[in-house]
Amino acid sequence: MVTFLFRRLLNLLPTFLLATVLVFSIIQLAPGDFLTPAKLNPGISEQQLRNLAEQFGLNKPVWQQYFQWLWNLLHGNLGLSFSYTQPVLDVAWPRVVNSFKLVLVNLVLFYAISIPLGVYGAVRQYSFGDRISGVVFYFLLGFPSFFLALLTIFGILKFRQATGLNVPMIGMTSDGYDSLGLLGKFWDTLKHLLIPGLVAAVGGVAGFTRVLRGQMLEHLRSDFVRTARSKGVPEFWVIYRHTFRNAIIPFVAGIGGLLPGLIGGAGFVEVVFSYPGITPMLLDAIGAQDFYLVAAFSILPMVLLFLGNAISDILLAVADPRIRFN
Amino acid sequence: MTALPTPIQPAPPRTTARAQSQLQVAWGQFCRNRLASTGGVFIILLYVLAIFAPFVAPDGLSNYSTTSITRYHAPTPLHFRDPKTGAWGLYVEKFAQTMNPTTFLQEFRPTGEKCPVRWFLPGDTYRILGIAGNLHLFGTGNPNCKIFLWGAEGLGRDLFTRTIYASQISLTIGVLSVLISTLIGMVMGSLAAYFRGWVDNVINRFIEVISAIPYLFLLILLRSLFPQGANPILVLFLLLCILAFISWGDLARTIRSQLLSVREQDYVTAANALGSSQGRIMFRHMLPSMTSYLIVTLSLAIPGTILLESGLSFLGIGAVEPYVSWGTLLNQTQDGGIASITDRPWMLIPGFFIVFTVMCYQLLGDGLRDAFDPRKRQ
Repeated sequence: MVTFLFRRLLNLLPTFLLATVLVFSIIQLAPGDFLTPAKLNPGISEQQLRNLAEQFGLNKPVWQQYFQWLWNLLHGNLGLSFSYTQPVLDVAWPRVVNSFKLVLVNLVLFYAISIPLGVYGAVRQYSFGDRISGVVFYFLLGFPSFFLALLTIFGILKFRQATGLNVPMIGMTSDGYDSLGLLGKFWDTLKHLLIPGLVAAVGGVAGFTRVLRGQMLEHLRSDFVRTARSKGVPEFWVIYRHTFRNAIIPFVAGIGGLLPGLIGGAGFVEVVFSYPGITPMLLDAIGAQDFYLVAAFSILPMVLLFLGNAISDILLAVADPRIRFN
Repeated sequence: MTALPTPIQPAPPRTTARAQSQLQVAWGQFCRNRLASTGGVFIILLYVLAIFAPFVAPDGLSNYSTTSITRYHAPTPLHFRDPKTGAWGLYVEKFAQTMNPTTFLQEFRPTGEKCPVRWFLPGDTYRILGIAGNLHLFGTGNPNCKIFLWGAEGLGRDLFTRTIYASQISLTIGVLSVLISTLIGMVMGSLAAYFRGWVDNVINRFIEVISAIPYLFLLILLRSLFPQGANPILVLFLLLCILAFISWGDLARTIRSQLLSVREQDYVTAANALGSSQGRIMFRHMLPSMTSYLIVTLSLAIPGTILLESGLSFLGIGAVEPYVSWGTLLNQTQDGGIASITDRPWMLIPGFFIVFTVMCYQLLGDGLRDAFDPRKRQ
């Protein structure tokens, strides 16, 4: 298993390197230089500038600069953020973690909605509920996530005005967060994550549900299901243990590739809900030409891709016992 | 014994129906699908509306008065009958900003002056498909008493006018960028399938890299290649290319895998044996086998790209002034804090245009997919 994961990691390495080349060359092509905005910043001294120029080899040819940047990257040194005058990693990492939390909640809600719907749609095909959920989520497919977020905020504000209930939605924490206990903190963050996570999740439900329903239907007609039924397996187990487990295999394999898309999709929601995730800061960084920060935000989520691929491989082995790793 | 000659059966009457081509069959299927053809009709209507936007809109795209402030003007109600005289006729009331003496806030109040709505009246000059004109479908003709059918935005410009104009950008960018990305995808996919070896490897790696970076970040990154204050037309063109650049991967992969199987077909071998050139085999024999697949993916990719374009414009890295898209218009809902959204809900209207367009395209795409799928024929 470990050797298998290691081999997968080696497989992803060229992709990672090529991605760094792509990001680096885009930033190189962009107008201005890593240090252009820094030179205008009175908070950064001449000495610091010279140090930075030397550290990142800005007076060397481009390909050497790339390798130096990559070398620094591999040592965890992502440069200095000029707008925050702090090491990039210190500024960027909390944001990456925040975004990851949102994506996690998004993913959990997404599966919590779409799996039961897909199974229900297959088991009770053409029933009233199947049709209604089909129509509703097909309709939601047409909503851009940021527009759905705007509508949700509008609805919540109206709801607040009408009932006076304080529904948490903006930001990640409420006032007085620091005084809460560990469990309180967790609950507070989760409360703030629920609505953005839900908004980011519902848009894609229709696509997943439809395919899962199709897969389920296909497997429900197969011989092993008939065998299971005839030997007296309870219907619940027939559906969840025999059929569902087969139906989700293609999806489990795809989880790893899903993550980059999810982070992007959650980005719009982050902006609308002013959630302290990657995207709002990335937009600021682009505006301020804070290129080291921009580069970091493009590279760091790749770590998630590694993680996602590893997780999906492990899950695949759990869901499909036919897969052996040696 | 003579065998009875079997009576010759008269040949079955020749049916007049001629063999239908695949496209004809698909078209027939599509027309029978009520939902899909409705979607198609609405899309055509939307495009007609976009072309004639300057005529339908009562005002110019960027017109606003510097003397009478109409910032976030609420929608003006249309009256059909004068309550005092009882006379019939469409009119709007003139609104003016007055200070509320108790709250000291500026408020829009009707002044009591009535402006009758007139049809086909001259106004702002424009060009439709190169033809100059100044006729507008409706308006009051009085610049101080405009019809704000859907209210006004932050600078006091008519939101209805801007939404209609925005459809020109929103409806074009998505379609054009899908066309470009399809072209790239086709060329890359067929190159990979035909030459295999290192070409295939390089193209596949490139696709992997593009899909490994979250698409939103890649879009933002690519946009940062160009200065913030670039020429607005150039920005639109850029948007087109950037959207095309990030989305050709999936198509190229599918085309590659399909063509790899087509490559082994007899007719390709035959063409090869007859001495056709590589280009001819690729574009004359292999690619046409994917026509139906291409039509379907094209129509299903357009709604996604329209969504993406609106998202980028919403983030402020899409269309820039003086051009507007529906996303740009929605961007303004966030001005002055998101909580102010309940004070001016009409700012959300452009979003429903996005939803409507995307829905229509989806219905169209699904209808086309079913029409080309032999298993779903009715």
